[in-house]
Amino acid sequence: MTKQVPDPNEPRWRRTLQISMPLNLSYVPIGLAAGVLLHAAGFNTLLTALVSVVIFSGGAQFMIASMLTINAPLLSIVLMLFFLELRYALLGSSLSKYLRGQNEGFLFFFAVSMNDENYAVNYLKFATDKKWTPTDALQVEHWSLLFWSVSNVIGSLIGSALKINLDVVHFALTALFLYMIIMQVKSRLAILVALISAALAVFFLMLTKSTLGLVIATLIASFLGFALEHELRVRRPKSRFLWRLHSPGSGGEPVENASDESL
Amino acid sequence: MDTVNTWNTTQHFWLVVLGFFVAFAPRYIPIKIFTQRKIPEWFNEWMKFVPVSLFTALVVKDLFITATYQFDPMAHLPEIISAIIVGVIAYFTRSMAISVVIGLVSVFLLAMLI
Repeated sequence: MTKQVPDPNEPRWRRTLQISMPLNLSYVPIGLAAGVLLHAAGFNTLLTALVSVVIFSGGAQFMIASMLTINAPLLSIVLMLFFLELRYALLGSSLSKYLRGQNEGFLFFFAVSMNDENYAVNYLKFATDKKWTPTDALQVEHWSLLFWSVSNVIGSLIGSALKINLDVVHFALTALFLYMIIMQVKSRLAILVALISAALAVFFLMLTKSTLGLVIATLIASFLGFALEHELRVRRPKSRFLWRLHSPGSGGEPVENASDESL
Repeated sequence: MDTVNTWNTTQHFWLVVLGFFVAFAPRYIPIKIFTQRKIPEWFNEWMKFVPVSLFTALVVKDLFITATYQFDPMAHLPEIISAIIVGVIAYFTRSMAISVVIGLVSVFLLAMLI
């Protein structure tokens, strides 16, 4: 990437639009898919627009769509959404040091529109660009929200003209989660935690006969990962499990590879 | 999977409202607290493992668990093969859009073949 010299007279909105553009464009196909899926699940276009603004999370919206198609109970969907969105606690806390001194209203709007990808862009900008302000960061969030919501609405409208196979639709969610796993796994210990979680998920899903098994597996596996890492750091700091993994493509073009920075 | 959802618009609306609260709380509360005080180390260390655990559990459910919650490693063969393809694509391209689109195409084609 060539480094461009910013024009001091250029309006901020144009600069934040430019910075968020790779992210915005990557939202178009996923946003269209989310709109189509929500339509298949019975959501009307107005509600699709609403959900894209107030929840603003590809994973959560795909999950709503796929859980509705299997007629999951409301409480079960909301509980799964909660655990799915819990990861934002980590993103929010890691950005908080750059948001000190902002007023109540700003923090509210910043939190509402934060998600994995715009977090990654903003975290990188805050860490590397001294002139990057919380207002710029909020603008990046709003640009990505705009592209996301418009794509969702268009997807919802396209959806009424399409007849789609729900099994194929459901795999969009699986593929999205697989992608997120690949982006999250950055140490050997993380692979071990994933394997533990896989085994626990099978066990607890069969035991509880409900998606509650996923919640139990997640809580136990993440806690074991935390406890194991702590033990290894204290007792065997040279353990191979603490080695970080090399991954191709990480490094260059951090904006496009936005989710890479999620953790 | 063939049953179409029977909820009405009001029920969808309440789902969105409740969804907003569970999506908002994890985003807002840590920002609110940690703009004022320091983040405890253990919190970050624990939360770090939540996404990988949850996503793995979800993928395992989609690939190996049947609608009646039985373990069946052969029930979703097109999905399993596509999952391997998606994993490889995601690892090398690190692009969400490419991974999801290729995954959808491959599961569509494999479902016709198998």
